Amino acid sequence: MLPIVSITLFLPLLGAMVILYLRNVAAEKIHQIGIVTSALTLLGSLLIWSGGVAVSGFSQVEQLEWMPSIGAAYRVGVDGISLPLVLLTTLLFLLTFIFSSNVRNRPKSFVVLMLLLETAAIGTFVSLDAILFYVFFEVSLVSMYFMIAGWGHEDRQRAALMFFIYTLLGSLPLLLAILGLYLGGETQTFDMRAWIENPPLAGSAAMLALIAMLFTFAVKIPVVPFHTWLPAAHVQAPAAGSVILAGVMLKFGTYGLVRFALQMTPEAFRDAGIVVLFFGIVAAIYGAFAALAQTDLKRLIAYTSVNHMGYIVVGVAIAALSLDPEIRAIALDGSVLQMVSHGLVTGALFFLVGMIQDRAHTRDMAQFGGLLKTVPWLGWFFIVAAFASLGLPGLAHFPAEFQIFLATLREMPWATVVIIGIVITAGLYLKAISQVFLGKSKEQWHTMPDLDKRELLTLSPLLFFIILLGIAPSLVLDVIHKTTSALNF
Amino acid sequence: MLSDIYLMTPEIIVLLTAVVVLVMEMLHQPRMGYVAALVGIVLAFLLSLPLLGENTTAFSQTFRIDVLSVWAKLILLPATFLSLMLVRHELKNSNREATVYVLVIMTTLASLILAGVGDTILLVLGLLLSSLASFALVAYPRDDFATEAAMKFFVFASVTSSVMIFGLTYWYGGSGSTLLSELTLLAKSPVLVMVGFITVIVGLGYKAALVPFHFWAPDAYQGAPVSIAAYLSVVPKIGAIFALAQVVKDLPGEGWQWVLAIVAVMTMTLGYLAALMQQNVVRLMAYSSVAQAGYFLLGVIAVGATSLAIESLIIFSAAYAAMNLGAFAIVMQIGRQLENFKGVGRQFPLVGIAMVIFLISLVGIPPLAGFVGKFLLFGAAMETGFTWLVIIAIINSVLSLGVYLRIIVPMYQQSEVQKSESLVAMPLVKQVWLTGLVLTVLIGLSAQLLLANIF
Repeated sequence: MLPIVSITLFLPLLGAMVILYLRNVAAEKIHQIGIVTSALTLLGSLLIWSGGVAVSGFSQVEQLEWMPSIGAAYRVGVDGISLPLVLLTTLLFLLTFIFSSNVRNRPKSFVVLMLLLETAAIGTFVSLDAILFYVFFEVSLVSMYFMIAGWGHEDRQRAALMFFIYTLLGSLPLLLAILGLYLGGETQTFDMRAWIENPPLAGSAAMLALIAMLFTFAVKIPVVPFHTWLPAAHVQAPAAGSVILAGVMLKFGTYGLVRFALQMTPEAFRDAGIVVLFFGIVAAIYGAFAALAQTDLKRLIAYTSVNHMGYIVVGVAIAALSLDPEIRAIALDGSVLQMVSHGLVTGALFFLVGMIQDRAHTRDMAQFGGLLKTVPWLGWFFIVAAFASLGLPGLAHFPAEFQIFLATLREMPWATVVIIGIVITAGLYLKAISQVFLGKSKEQWHTMPDLDKRELLTLSPLLFFIILLGIAPSLVLDVIHKTTSALNF
Repeated sequence: MLSDIYLMTPEIIVLLTAVVVLVMEMLHQPRMGYVAALVGIVLAFLLSLPLLGENTTAFSQTFRIDVLSVWAKLILLPATFLSLMLVRHELKNSNREATVYVLVIMTTLASLILAGVGDTILLVLGLLLSSLASFALVAYPRDDFATEAAMKFFVFASVTSSVMIFGLTYWYGGSGSTLLSELTLLAKSPVLVMVGFITVIVGLGYKAALVPFHFWAPDAYQGAPVSIAAYLSVVPKIGAIFALAQVVKDLPGEGWQWVLAIVAVMTMTLGYLAALMQQNVVRLMAYSSVAQAGYFLLGVIAVGATSLAIESLIIFSAAYAAMNLGAFAIVMQIGRQLENFKGVGRQFPLVGIAMVIFLISLVGIPPLAGFVGKFLLFGAAMETGFTWLVIIAIINSVLSLGVYLRIIVPMYQQSEVQKSESLVAMPLVKQVWLTGLVLTVLIGLSAQLLLANIF
């Protein structure tokens, strides 16, 4: 039996080592190695997927001694919550490598950093040891910092600095919570399974740990008012960085919210659930309104992320508040599915904005008009992705958001005010589409080329999965549901 | 008596090495002196290995051979070895080259004595020996900067050491003994304990560059050769911190923990705030090493309360020695000013990666050595009930990121001036930072190797 999870986890790192070792190779060659490595990694995650998940707890667990005297070990494994995210991660990375294969500015460092980031991202989702989780969580931060600082746009240094300091400040309370959980347990171990099985803290200690964790994940998700780093980082990051940041790294926050906050301090989360719910609602509605006010296309999509991630927070809060296992399962199913959908849809949108910027060197919506005529492929892809993002039935976001709202309606009917977010999102996307793609086409864009092969290859799989997930959500939901329906806290 | 001498062999070897190197200097054989110094250090290191696991005292309890003092040898001797390589590169063929080796070895000897101190007289002896040798090291270049720095250093040291000696008389008066282990007798007179302890903090705090006794450090580091600054920021500092840990082992009461906690907060915060203002990289690193000393105190506070305390002190010391020496070695290679670092990362990727790894390890970002060390320190302090202190330490870690990014950011900017195509070849310096790099990564990934063998 091959340790397939570990192989998948470290394959990108291996690829990075190979590239570092090579000297004087052409940029194409380096990009090829990146693409092949990430394709193999995707294959690995598909193999994990075919292995399936157990009815309860984690499956495909692999472990190795690391620091036995303090109870830390190398432990990895998957369950129905992490497995879809691993698949999403490996898919998005492969597409990002394909999209970025035209990078000629220090390609070697770029590919190495991306591969390092891929290992860190997969590691964050598959870690079953709190220290290991924290290690990957932080390594991803460092790689992303260099990604933004090295390949970003005009004001990249400031944005990268803000991103790094903001999220490092954000992640350190988690370290405190991890230490608290470690010292509070009967047996001193960093095994997350033990903490989930038997939450080590109770009473006010659990509440303090929860507050620390909520702070960390609120910055990462990001929840209003901790979101200010996000638009800055997105606008300055290269398109590849934005896709990974929004598609994968924001999920660290919501994944942590479920894995740590909900599963390790369930009692405290129930007590604080209303507050979290409130923050989720505010984030969702504020994100939508803020997006409505943007003139920069990339900022607009960045703010819709705040909105979509807000729904996930609402879903997790409902799951924490509810005593009915059925409602809990629905809410969590919706939340996890929303993470996957958001990764696919926002990934596609950021790719598209990157492609527009490559052609026009601007993201200001007022400068465009009638692009649908000059670049029909690009236009239609954008329209489908935008419709998916606003929650049109038949596309990826609908089944997820529907389940979140359904659970909300059954548990806290008043909280369904969050649905306003959908209406506003619909409005802002229609406004964006009409401004950029419809209307009179401007002369200066007449020579704009349509999507080339590389770009089609990047976008088609995403569009395929967006539609597939909309039509047959059960492909992923079955796996998620297996775990969420067996959770007892 | 014979067994006492056996237990002290590493220290005796270090002393003999100093004597041999001094003879070489008198014979005008600096190269031989350098080789003799390295051989002596390696020999002392090898002879320390059999002492692992010992827990006893020598010379009627005045010197302790315990976990801390043995590990001090295993960490400080290799650190001295690497420092000597840096010194050799920087001061090769200068006047009186081998005297520097003698002084470095004497300072190391003093630090080893401090790390195993079991008696107040030995504490004074170690502190003075370390100070006397360090003054001469700082003053070595004989220019205005160095002379002024050494002068400040000297005045500062004289005052703080005399305050400590004065305070120690209270302990002697109260307990009737100079032994640290007899301090438990003072349990009924907390005022005496406090008066003595505060003066010990003044004395050792100056040596470890704790705020507010740190003023000499940036000037001394800046005035001294970079290699000496690297050495002073590691070996005497760790020696002084370990001495503090030895002192608090038998100290009755709880009040001293709070004194240390307040000093730790001031040291970390002021150290990093001051580092934010510096333009000179050596001064920046000086303030950074001031702040790092504050983190050490988290472990000292926990001594006696949890076994994590000693583990964390040892691991963080090893990590700190590796990453700080590495960072200083790169400063030697690149230059003392922030402008020198512009574009370095783009031009020389390996140097860039190494410096980034040292600096983010100093911040405490996983999976590097600094993270493991700080993580254990935080755990030790939390278990002792100082969660608030850990929170302040964590906030300071964010501040420290701002400090170290001031070096990292320019490294990856376009450099306006076209620099020479390749770095000046500095084989010794390169070996030092490569060793530091390997250790920084290795200690981070396999802290268990250390953890399992500590006791």
